[in-house]
Amino acid sequence: MDDLFAVPRGWLESFGEIVKFCARILADVASLRVFKYFGEVLRQAGILIVSSTLVIWGLVFIIGLQCGIEGAYFDRSVGVPAYAGVFAAWCDLRELVPLCFGYMMAAKVGTGIVAEIGSMRISDEIDALEVMGISGVTFLCATRLLGSMLVLPFVYLCSIGAGFFASYLAVVQQIGDVSSGGYFLIFWQFQNPPDVLYSLIKAMAMAIVIVLVGCYYGYTATGGPVGVGTATAKSMVFNIVSVHVIGMLGTQLFWGANPRAPIGG
Amino acid sequence: MATTAVDRVFAPTRGVLQEAGEMMILTVRTIVSAVKPPYPYGAEFVSQFMFALRLCWFPLLVSTVAFGYEAPGLQAANFLVLFGALDRLGGFFVLASIREFAPFVDAIVLAGVAGTAITADLGARRIREELDALEVLGVDPIKNLVVPRFLALMLVTGLFDIYALLFGVFGGVLATLVNHQPLGPFWATFFSNASTTDLWGSVVKTTLFGAIIAVVCCYKGMTAKGGAEGVGRAVNEAVVIAFLAIFAFNYVFTQVLLATHPALTDIVK
Repeated sequence: MDDLFAVPRGWLESFGEIVKFCARILADVASLRVFKYFGEVLRQAGILIVSSTLVIWGLVFIIGLQCGIEGAYFDRSVGVPAYAGVFAAWCDLRELVPLCFGYMMAAKVGTGIVAEIGSMRISDEIDALEVMGISGVTFLCATRLLGSMLVLPFVYLCSIGAGFFASYLAVVQQIGDVSSGGYFLIFWQFQNPPDVLYSLIKAMAMAIVIVLVGCYYGYTATGGPVGVGTATAKSMVFNIVSVHVIGMLGTQLFWGANPRAPIGG
Repeated sequence: MATTAVDRVFAPTRGVLQEAGEMMILTVRTIVSAVKPPYPYGAEFVSQFMFALRLCWFPLLVSTVAFGYEAPGLQAANFLVLFGALDRLGGFFVLASIREFAPFVDAIVLAGVAGTAITADLGARRIREELDALEVLGVDPIKNLVVPRFLALMLVTGLFDIYALLFGVFGGVLATLVNHQPLGPFWATFFSNASTTDLWGSVVKTTLFGAIIAVVCCYKGMTAKGGAEGVGRAVNEAVVIAFLAIFAFNYVFTQVLLATHPALTDIVK
């Protein structure tokens, strides 16, 4: 009987550990303790901008192309090629741009944080910080969280732009079943500012979870250089699952009961 | 060392090109080494296959059900309910799940879960100089380590595509039930629109995704360097490159498949 519950109990235990650790980081940010190290916050934000934004936009651009061609072929097959904008607008804004942003955040930023903080942990740099009277959680994790919260909304809004641009290229310039004006008429009709806000909330929830999980796995890495690699791989598993689950909950919450489309009553 | 502006612009580009070239070389060497006798990699192949299976089945299950329910399920159902045409959701799921979402969720999970584990494993062996020791003993690391992983990931990603597809469609079933609709019309439109071309396209695509993941992750693991941070850094780079490569390849493959098989885009009523 003990064996049967050992695995789920292990999962629950590590989930509880992660939640406890994340609560500590969030408390550091919420209590404004992190502003002691505001310079470090800005430095982390800068690193994020310089090293990660282009890759994120690149992935979102490719998925925008994908949404575009699928939408164009699907709408051609049901006989309304002029309405490819509906598919593109919903596919981009509501679903795939947040998800792909989450994927790339997990891959680039999440694992990057684990690798960085993990190597600090195993080369005893975090212990050195604590000896000097600087809290490792505040200085390393809370600063990264606040830094990404400062920057990521703007990165995300720009990546929506990249996705829209790519869908336009695919539908209008590549497939060419619909004119540019006709495409944009439908495209803008089927979205409005609250949709952008909901999409932003979804993506930010993913981003915050990813940064927190990255900090946890890095901070608790053990077992030499090999341990850092294993922790990085493990953080990816958690992040992939949580990105999908957050995406599903967000869609259910924001669009589940109300399609928010300019049709019918 | 003084660097000119030209160097600073072209050094990263050259690095990227060099790395892409080295991955190509690794791919060719892996394929050649897989075909040429002897074949000592059977046991390692089975263990890698089981390893990927054990790691991925649960994350893949959660991810595909969530994705199927979320993107094609809820959003498309929302749209179709406006016209009272929810029975068409099944036909949409052929396009959404078989052609698009099952393959790429499958690839993302495999790259994020099994690929990272492979990079961490090989990177650890590189850092501990086990790979050098193997070479000194006259054991070819490509034949004994890369080939079994390459073949196992190809097979496992291809097979998991079917699994992802089943659970993706299950997400669609959930979305239909949430809208209080009977399942009969869903299955009717699903099966009248499903074609074997879609299915083999999907399986071939994911098998090639598996090859991409394996080559990128093995390459990054085998070239890990730089002490403590090295392995973590290698995993980070491997998963980023794998994601970009998967999505770029996905776009090209889908476009070619749709353009060369116009019958795929006919909707059967």
